[in-house]
Amino acid sequence: MRNVLVTGGSRGLGLGIARKLAGAEYRVIALARKESEPLAAALREAETAHPGSLHFFACDLGQIEELGGIVKTLRKKFGPIYGLVNNAGMSFDGTLPLMPTAQIEQLVRVNTISPMVLTKYVVRHMMADGGGRIVNIASITGFTGYSGLSVYSATKAALIGFTRSLAREAGRMGVNVNAVAPGFVDTEMTQSLGEEGRERIVRRSALRRMAEVEDVANAVEFLLSCKSKNITGTVLTVDAGSTA
Amino acid sequence: MSIRSEVITQINRVASEQDKRLAPLSDSLALLDSGLDSLCLAIVVARLEDELGIDPFSTAEEAGPPVTLGEFIRLYEDAAK
Repeated sequence: MRNVLVTGGSRGLGLGIARKLAGAEYRVIALARKESEPLAAALREAETAHPGSLHFFACDLGQIEELGGIVKTLRKKFGPIYGLVNNAGMSFDGTLPLMPTAQIEQLVRVNTISPMVLTKYVVRHMMADGGGRIVNIASITGFTGYSGLSVYSATKAALIGFTRSLAREAGRMGVNVNAVAPGFVDTEMTQSLGEEGRERIVRRSALRRMAEVEDVANAVEFLLSCKSKNITGTVLTVDAGSTA
Repeated sequence: MSIRSEVITQINRVASEQDKRLAPLSDSLALLDSGLDSLCLAIVVARLEDELGIDPFSTAEEAGPPVTLGEFIRLYEDAAK
């Protein structure tokens, strides 16, 4: 089984991605600070359906200086890493003029610096091992505006730029690097939108609905599979046509 | 195997895998003139981490990048102490 790391794999999109990949013959290691109840349930299910396909590794990805050691430990425990899904992220809803500077720094640290540094430690082993796949979870807010999410959007736009350039850099060593840009998906992170906000998104989308966690997980599975071997440096938008 | 010989072994191995022609290796040789590009050097660093269990480039207090092969080897020798 090929090893795939999924950051933020204990809930929301990350958990959905981890479950999908565990059912697709990967050995998934979900990285998160704590094992949530839904993840514990997914671990139990996976152990019955596909033994050894889903694991939990506790770590705080915001501790940038620890990331090199984490990758070393994971390689020692599980072996070479084939795939990395940089999904972990946080969002503070609020207008920029009132946002505390510490929150701005935290958003950039968790959403941008952490995945970049984690990728640094993973990609060089992928290159040494002859290849691998990296999928960065961006957002449609990285290329379209949404009031109240200026800093979050900037961190996601940064991931898109990172994706394109790293694809150029690591391509000749057999590493594909892509991004998935979900639209507004019904998860904990979008709870703050409220019923009215959700209705507005549905009304404005081409398909008159919101994308689901399953749709994003399918896109990630595709980008890790051999079916996408000639796709790199691109952004796959999964938003039910919100930005069409 | 000494750290020096392990570094030289990995450099030769990566050069061969990546079809790169190496300059004669000496301590004064600038890494950029060795025939290995930065991606090849990244692979050397990853392999050395596996073989020696050392990654001098991940420490918080890392200095500037080594310029010559001698400096590169010394970095590993110092990290092993």
